[in-house]
Amino acid sequence: MYYLTRMLGKPVLDAAGETVGTISDVAIATGEVFPRVTSLAFLGPDKTPFMLSWRKYVAEIDDEHVMLNSERAGLRFSYLQPDEILLHRDLLNKQIVDTQGMKVVRVNDLKLSESRNQLRLLGAEVGIRGILRGLAPWLERAAERIARVFGTGIPENLIAWNYMDLLDRDLSHVQLSVTHKRLHELHPADVADVLEQLSAAQRARVFEHLDNTQAALAVAELEDEYQADVIDDLGSQRASDILEMMDPDDAADVIGDLPYDKAEALLRLMGVEESGTIRRLLGYREKTAGGIMTPEVTTVTEEMSLEQVIAHLREEAEDTESIYYIYVVEGDMHLTGVISLRDLVISEPHTLVSDIVSRDVFNVGVEDDQEDVAELMSKYDLLAMPVVDETGKLLGIVTVDDALDVLEEESAEDLALATGASRSFETSDAWSWLGRKSGWVTVWAVLGVLASLLISRFTNTLESAIALVFFIPLVIRLAEEISSHSLAMLIEAGDPEDRPPFMRRLFVDVLVGIGLGLVSGLLAFGMLEALGEPLDTSVVVAGSVGGTVLATTAIGTLVPYLALKKDGSGWRAPSVLFSTGLAVIGLAVYLLLATYLKSTIRF
Amino acid sequence: MKKLKADKTRFLAVLAVIGPGIIAASAGNDSGGISTYSVAGARYGYKMLWMMVLMTPAFVIIQEMAGRMGAVTGKGFSALIRERFGVRPTFLAMLLLLGSTAATTVAEFAGVAAAMELFGVSRLLSVPIAAAIVWLLVVRGSYRNVEKVLLALSSVFVAYVVSAFMAKPDWMAVSQALVVPSVVPEAGFVALAIGLTGTTIAPWMQFLVQSNIVDKGTSIKEWRIARFDVMAGALVANVVAIFIIITTGAVLHPAGIAITDARQAAEALAPLAGSYATILFAIGLLAASVLSAAVLPLTASYAICEAFGWESGLDRNWSEAPVFNGLYTFVIFTAAATILIPGLDLIAIMLVSQVVNGMMLPFLLLFMMVIISDRRVMGRYVNGAVHNVLAWGTIVIAISLTVLLLGMTILGYG
Repeated sequence: MYYLTRMLGKPVLDAAGETVGTISDVAIATGEVFPRVTSLAFLGPDKTPFMLSWRKYVAEIDDEHVMLNSERAGLRFSYLQPDEILLHRDLLNKQIVDTQGMKVVRVNDLKLSESRNQLRLLGAEVGIRGILRGLAPWLERAAERIARVFGTGIPENLIAWNYMDLLDRDLSHVQLSVTHKRLHELHPADVADVLEQLSAAQRARVFEHLDNTQAALAVAELEDEYQADVIDDLGSQRASDILEMMDPDDAADVIGDLPYDKAEALLRLMGVEESGTIRRLLGYREKTAGGIMTPEVTTVTEEMSLEQVIAHLREEAEDTESIYYIYVVEGDMHLTGVISLRDLVISEPHTLVSDIVSRDVFNVGVEDDQEDVAELMSKYDLLAMPVVDETGKLLGIVTVDDALDVLEEESAEDLALATGASRSFETSDAWSWLGRKSGWVTVWAVLGVLASLLISRFTNTLESAIALVFFIPLVIRLAEEISSHSLAMLIEAGDPEDRPPFMRRLFVDVLVGIGLGLVSGLLAFGMLEALGEPLDTSVVVAGSVGGTVLATTAIGTLVPYLALKKDGSGWRAPSVLFSTGLAVIGLAVYLLLATYLKSTIRF
Repeated sequence: MKKLKADKTRFLAVLAVIGPGIIAASAGNDSGGISTYSVAGARYGYKMLWMMVLMTPAFVIIQEMAGRMGAVTGKGFSALIRERFGVRPTFLAMLLLLGSTAATTVAEFAGVAAAMELFGVSRLLSVPIAAAIVWLLVVRGSYRNVEKVLLALSSVFVAYVVSAFMAKPDWMAVSQALVVPSVVPEAGFVALAIGLTGTTIAPWMQFLVQSNIVDKGTSIKEWRIARFDVMAGALVANVVAIFIIITTGAVLHPAGIAITDARQAAEALAPLAGSYATILFAIGLLAASVLSAAVLPLTASYAICEAFGWESGLDRNWSEAPVFNGLYTFVIFTAAATILIPGLDLIAIMLVSQVVNGMMLPFLLLFMMVIISDRRVMGRYVNGAVHNVLAWGTIVIAISLTVLLLGMTILGYG
């Protein structure tokens, strides 16, 4: 096994054993799954660069040097061929797209293997090992040993040549491997994942290589916050072409996020029909059935025969997202019933629609909440849900893919609310688990140190009334209790619109806080009096406990409430941070209050 | 006539893009900057003004270079360092950046503490709360919404310009100090000169400017116009800085106030605001500090992840981008915790952080100079002669100042 970073700088010896230079690069022939090393580049005396054919001149290679089969005088130098690329110059340290893992990564090292005197490129190392090896080989060994102590290893993170896509297209003259799985062969959802990791300039470069259909599919799959940016960066003509190819509901989503001028410009470049549809969709509010529906729906009338229906479907199938249900309408698109694809297929061709129509058709209003729509569809296992206006006129359908997006969005919000992390439960390896956990342990530890620092600043106060110490655990415990309670409340409430308005919430919380504060203050007072503490100490401690309980309750219930955005997203901190933070704040309030009361209350 | 019209269109195009750069650069006058400039004026009067005059073109040009690299390559500064130099030098550069950022973030929280103490709030309360707020602003990505409010508030430092005139300084002495170099042969003066360099041409600002240009997807054609914005911003920021030195030099220096706490620094605004000087100063300091405390750790996080190929972005959660999220969280909370060490001198912290910046600056500039002179990277947009002279001059002066300071410290001089 050879690593490029370790080969670089090693001496090149000729047949007589004399050093002719040091390795500066190796070239590979592209076009194979595991490409062969074809040329050796080295720096001769005075740093003059030379290049040799590997096949002709390299006799053997080991960890310390490369041995040539000819003496210096007999060497014939060569030039870089059009189908060759240099590993050091063109690949090492560069960003590439890992088309298998759908990620943008940086090449930290290149791994080669030797077989019968031929060196082949196995792949690019993109993990932490490559970085450590590049810094110093002993670092890699040390890290490995430490990892072994913990019963794990540091896995090598290798990307094979055929799963790489080069981002810097100045290499585009290079003929890449025929089996090469390139970006445009990926599923649009995967392309979208990759695009989200790139800078604007790199994104533009990738878009140049996608045709309009692929681009439209990829844009539809992008997260909302990127869609508008991407379209904004494209030229107006290309952008409008791409939008035209998208499903109108997706296109409307994107256009809705653009600045007004840009949106108008794009709509004007589109066909009259497409832009009209999109304009109509833009009229519906976000997060409602209208906002996620598509107006492309197949409708038939009751007097049609099934034969006619099938012919009608064939004509329209091209333009419609979903044909699993065929909706029956009368007059001005008034929804009266539905037939399923199944009924259509198993019935005789000359049967009339009115014979098999099911009049019991689920439908939702255009202003209904998107989450309710999705839940209905999931409950009744529907592939599409018709959307009607208040007069019962069919406006469009919500298809199952959009409903799934809604459910995923909502559950991700709930989950993120609870844990502050993991939108997806991938099986992550031990390292990332440790990294993630220790990240929070660090935060927790910092806050813990903060708490001890706090206490150390108030030794005077504490010494003057030692009874204060009795209640420190209570203050901390209470903060944890309150934080978990208020997070649970938020998750249950779910939709921001269901949450009580802020002022009412404030009022209720303060009321609850006052009640709790009074009760705990009185309890503390009673307990201290029973223990025979002097009256002023009891008052100070009881006052501090009561005041702190009030403050912690108010802060603890209000902070997460305020931290959430209108759309319910945004609370990313895990509850551990919140509860520890609240404990520190509670402690600070407690100590400050005690100091203040101590200095004012004298009997 | 036609030419006139073309000129006018061009002028309007320039006006259209100017603004964000000016605002952004005046945010560069953060707590470290304000304190360094104030102390420079209070301690040495107008004696350091000539350095600011020399540094202004250097700063303008270095910012232009960073932006140009972004526009030509579409990559961040750290990515270019990695691709040009390999892992080891990149590691060093990222350590420098992290050190510079962490030191400055500590200074920002010192700014928060100092500002809130002017309002009578204990740092034990203000700093943890500020850290939590800053962290929330960052993770929610909502600092972009708050950004404008904070920028508007921190722009109260423009008040120094007015205050300078109302303090009625000896303009003859000021103009003389602007052009005639003068030095005080003591270690404190050299250290302050390094701090002045570090705060004016802060290393992290080059990363920030370049990544802003890259994020906006500015092409080299658009850059011809956009650079006026960046350069004007740098210019305005330095003019404000010069006026801070003039004001403190006119108000505090004659009174023999050497600034040991923020209240004294605020006194420089008294000619303008009278008894409200403290409030004005505190508001500006607080806003500038909170804003920078959010921007700085984020800048470092982005740059470091870009260099090593780790996933980054505010929309990635902890399991997707552990290093990215961990880095800025770590920087914010350790910086805040540092301020809570009992008995800390806040003004000294702000000054020291800028000296650290000044010592690290030349090394990062060296990386920049090699990259921007490389035709393989920059094509025909490599540096011209003026750029080279100014940038190399800055590097040489910054290194010699550091060597001088070290020498003086070792020999026990001054």
